[in-house]
Amino acid sequence: MVENTPNALCFGDEFPASGAPCLVHVEDHGLTITFSPDRDGAESRSESLRFSELTVSAGGLDHDQLVATWVGLKGQRTLYLKSPDVIRAFRQAAPDHLSQPLERAAEQVRQVRQRHRMVWGIVGGVLLVVMLGLWFGSDVLVELAVDRIPVEWERKLGESTYRDFLAHQDVMKEGPAVDAVNEMIHRLTGQIPENPYTFEVTVVKSDVVNAFALPGGYIVVFTGLMKKAESGEEVAGVLAHELNHVLQRHGLERIIKQLGFVAVVSIVLGNPPGLGGMMKQLGVELMTLKFGRAQETEADLTGLELLYRAKIDPSGMITFFQRLAEKDEGRVEWLSTHPMSNARAERLKTQLAEMPKQNPEPFTFDWTNVRASQGAPPSTPP
Amino acid sequence: MKSEILYPGAFPMVRVELAEGEHIKAESGAMVACSPTIDIESKMEGGFLGALSRKFLTGEKFFFQTLRASRGAGEVLLAPTVPGEIIVMELDGVSEYMVQKDGFLAGAAGVVIDSQMQSMSRGLLGGEGFFILKMSGKGMLALNSFGAIHKIELKPGQEYIVDNSHLVAWSTTTTYNIEKATSGWVASFTSGEGFVCRFRGPGVVYIQSRNPGSFGAWVRQFIPVSQ
Ligand SMILES: [Zn+2]
Repeated sequence: MVENTPNALCFGDEFPASGAPCLVHVEDHGLTITFSPDRDGAESRSESLRFSELTVSAGGLDHDQLVATWVGLKGQRTLYLKSPDVIRAFRQAAPDHLSQPLERAAEQVRQVRQRHRMVWGIVGGVLLVVMLGLWFGSDVLVELAVDRIPVEWERKLGESTYRDFLAHQDVMKEGPAVDAVNEMIHRLTGQIPENPYTFEVTVVKSDVVNAFALPGGYIVVFTGLMKKAESGEEVAGVLAHELNHVLQRHGLERIIKQLGFVAVVSIVLGNPPGLGGMMKQLGVELMTLKFGRAQETEADLTGLELLYRAKIDPSGMITFFQRLAEKDEGRVEWLSTHPMSNARAERLKTQLAEMPKQNPEPFTFDWTNVRASQGAPPSTPP
Repeated sequence: MKSEILYPGAFPMVRVELAEGEHIKAESGAMVACSPTIDIESKMEGGFLGALSRKFLTGEKFFFQTLRASRGAGEVLLAPTVPGEIIVMELDGVSEYMVQKDGFLAGAAGVVIDSQMQSMSRGLLGGEGFFILKMSGKGMLALNSFGAIHKIELKPGQEYIVDNSHLVAWSTTTTYNIEKATSGWVASFTSGEGFVCRFRGPGVVYIQSRNPGSFGAWVRQFIPVSQ
């Protein structure tokens, strides 16, 4: 009896609340509704309806069912159609007065479906972005986390590491080298607008070719680096680069990246003191922090601009970077934390070429004297 | 196929009689006892991905069991995990029901089980998760509840408000909106009343007389915390 398989539910006062299953046929003039025989044994009965008696709308949980209502002999009747075939046949046969509400109903269904698709699309998109974010080093989250850390806290962290480090070093308290570095820092920091950091710089007597900046603005320059430099502008280039690692909070970004996602989340949710303990354990690792390629480029470019604003000849920075990278046989410590590449130097050259020419103001010190004071030979180092 | 509810009330079982060759789908773990002629197969309804999505998105068991009277007629006894009533209904091929994830106990071979994605707001606020089960097709369908099952009958346009954690199943001719139980958002979150569904007929809504979540919380307070 496939013929009698119901394809619709009819609701009305004398029917069960879950609806009476019935078979709907669409004909030219209207609908024929055949009710399945009752369990009570009543015979199956049919009812014919003209289209003119019906009002239609969309209904059901997903608004995808066609609802036809009419007033019969026994009161209000409501018919729920969900079979696509029957709905299609209905739309084709329905006269003009129904086609408008039908189109409206169909439009409603389309809108509901589209809205569902859109919402799920957005959710999918957001999920994808979050997953990609986590996959590619969670940079967005890292930045979010870094933004939550107050400068004051960053300074405490950097300062303790700075003092610990200097306690075991041969610190140069005064002399031409210290004066020269102070002058460079003074010229550079004078050009930083809204600077939240108070930079502190120390020259350390050591042959190590290095300089580093700790989070919070603590800078260490080794005499080994100064001996390699042929001019004050070259050292100023390194300092401008280091200052910008601090200003862009690159150290914090690296730490948080290394500490991982949990730390990031805990900071975002507001628990920086807990992280402080973890970071203290890292201790000297703050100084051996290796910056990423993107961070190097950022520090390079912003450093170059800073030199330019301070009217310090920026070409010194480029030549120094290149010389350090070319001549050394792996003894330049600075390069191990600031990975050098040809692309970096090229990028700096392009950037410099785009800047309008200006007349640099020379430093007040004589670089030959500064180097001589550290016991370096007056000519090019071997 | 014939079915009968034994011990109606809090601790019922269903007895299903199968003719040779007939089979039913049951929630895995629902089988209590059966004739030796019945074979139990673990079948992934809706294919592997369907089963996987049910598992991860509704928390539904990965497998449904198929109980097949392959070696002659026999009977199976089925029972749900939680104390509560069982109802057996007959799907007529045109009526469809949405069933929350713990409500399904067993269905005849002709019953089609679909995992359906809900709209965002229903998924977020409704408490049944983003996926619920949609039952269609033809044949016996057994649902179970936590506590007693109560049937709410709605005429076209008639409305009724149900706490969403008490929902078991509802016909697809109904529509519903999620609303907060009490006025004011703070009150909703602090009173623990959460969200309610405003159902609109026609159709039927089956609700359970106990809330599993609240019951769990009540039990937990008696469990000593081990250190
Ligand atoms: Zn660097």
